[in-house]
Amino acid sequence: MLFAVLARKSFKRNLQYRMAHLLQNIGSLVFGFVYASIWAGIGAASPLGSYGPQGMVAYVAFNQSVLHIVLFLTNGLGLEQSVRTGHISLELMRPTPLFYQTVSREVGNIAYQALYKSVPLFIFYFLFFRLPLPSHPAVYGWTALSLLCSAYLAICLQYLIGIAALWTTESRWLFWVNYACHLLLSGFFIPLEWLPGWLRHVSAATPYPFIQYHTTRLFMGLEGPQPIIGSALWGALLTALCLGATRLARRKLEIQGG
Amino acid sequence: MLRMYRMLVIASFRSRMQHPFNFVFGTLMAAVVNVVEFSLIAVVLSRFGSVQGWSTYEVAYLYGAILLSKTLYRTVASDVHHLEKYLVSGDLDQMLTRPVPVLLALMAQNVTIYVAEFLQSAVMLAISLSVLIGSGQTSWLAVPQTLFVVLCGAIICFAIGLATATAGFWITRIRELQVITEDSARFAAQYPLSLYPKWLRYVLCTAIPVGFANYIPSLYVVRGELGGWILAATALFTAGCLALSMRFWRFGLSRYQSAGS
Repeated sequence: MLFAVLARKSFKRNLQYRMAHLLQNIGSLVFGFVYASIWAGIGAASPLGSYGPQGMVAYVAFNQSVLHIVLFLTNGLGLEQSVRTGHISLELMRPTPLFYQTVSREVGNIAYQALYKSVPLFIFYFLFFRLPLPSHPAVYGWTALSLLCSAYLAICLQYLIGIAALWTTESRWLFWVNYACHLLLSGFFIPLEWLPGWLRHVSAATPYPFIQYHTTRLFMGLEGPQPIIGSALWGALLTALCLGATRLARRKLEIQGG
Repeated sequence: MLRMYRMLVIASFRSRMQHPFNFVFGTLMAAVVNVVEFSLIAVVLSRFGSVQGWSTYEVAYLYGAILLSKTLYRTVASDVHHLEKYLVSGDLDQMLTRPVPVLLALMAQNVTIYVAEFLQSAVMLAISLSVLIGSGQTSWLAVPQTLFVVLCGAIICFAIGLATATAGFWITRIRELQVITEDSARFAAQYPLSLYPKWLRYVLCTAIPVGFANYIPSLYVVRGELGGWILAATALFTAGCLALSMRFWRFGLSRYQSAGS
C-alpha cells in the first residue's frame, strides 16, 4: 500500500512539469529523427539485412520512444543527492526497506514518462514514418511484459549506481558509464548481430540486450517471447545485488551535509 | 578586460581542482561517452561503407569540427550555459552589483577544461584530415581552413547558447529549451545535413544555424563543392549571429527581474 502511494505521489509530482516535458519531447523527436534519417540514408544504398530500410526506421523509432522507460531514469534514483545532503540517514531510518522505497518512487516516475513521453513520441513516429504495427494481439501483451522487465532492470542498475555513492560520495560518473554501455550494448541504434564479434560477446554477458534489443525485436515480430525468461533471470540477479549492496550500505553509512 | 577574465578563470579552475578524483573520473567518463557515441556511427559506416556518399572520414570530420567548436564555446563561456541556476536562485543579482560586465563574469564562472572532448575532437580531425589529404581529396590548405571553420563554429555555438540563455530572462527555466537549440541541433549537425528532409535542413541553417558551424563550410573544405566564397560567407554569417545574440542579450538583461528570495 505504502509503495503504491509513493509511486502515485511521484507520478503526480511530475504532472506539475508537463509543459517543460513537452519541450523535452521535441528534443527527443529530433534525436530519433536523426537516427532514423541515418538509417534511411544508409538504406538507400543497402538492403539492410532482414530488417530492410523501413524496418530499420521502425527499429530505431521504437527504441527512441522507449528510452524514457528504460534509460532516462532519475540519476542513481536520487540516492547520490541523498548521500550528499545527509538525507540518506533519514531514509535508512524509515521502517521500510530502502530498495523498495526508491523503486516505488521510480515506478511512478516511469509510469509518468511512459504516458507523457514515450507514448506521444511513438504516436508521432508512427504517423510520420508510417510505422507498421503488430497484427497479432498477443504481441502487444508480450511487449508490455518485456518492457516492464526492461524498466525493472534499468531501475536496478540505477539503484546500484546510486548506492555506490555511499562509498564514493559522487557516482555521477557511473551514471555516464551506464549510459555509454547502454548506447553501445543494448542494440539501441545498431542491431546486435551487426556489432563486431568481440563486442557481441561482451554485450551477451550483460543485461543490456534484455533492456532494449529483445523487446524491440519482439514488438517487430522478429522473435518470440522466450527472451523474457532471460530478463526475469537478470532481474532476480540484480535484485539480489541491490539487496546485498543495501545491507553493506547500512554498515557503511557516513553522514554528509550539515 | 582580458586580464580580468584570466584571473577569474584561474580562480575558478583552482576551486575545481579541490576535488581531483572527480575531475579525473569526470574527464575519463566524458571521453568514454563521446567515443562510444561516435563508435556507434563508425561501426555502421564500416559495415555499410558510406551514408549518402559521405565516407567514415568525412563524417568524422563533421563530428570532430562540431565537437571542438562546442568544447571551445563551453570552455570559454562556461556558465552562460548554466544561467538558469543564477536566475532561479537569484544569484544573478550579486553579479549585477559587481564592477564587471555580467556576461564576462558568467563566462569566467566555474570554468571547466574539457580535456577529453578537446583531445578526442582534435584527434578525430587530425585523422580524418590526414586521410583525406593523403588520398588527394583535399590539400594541406584544409588545415588552416579547418581552424577557421572551428573558430566560426565556436562563435556560432556561443551565439546560439547566449540567445537561448537570454530567453531565461522571461521564462526562467531554460534547460528544456537548451535540449532543442543546443543538444539536439548539435547532435543533428554531427552528421551530413543532406540526410534530413528539406524543412529540417532550413531550420538547421537559419533558426538554429549549426549547419554553418561545420556542414556548409566542410562542403568546400573536404569535398571541394560550392567554392571558396563559402568561407567568407560563413565568416559574415557568424559575425551577424554574434551581433544579433549580443543585442538580444543586452535587451534581455535590461528586462531582468529578480526571481530569487
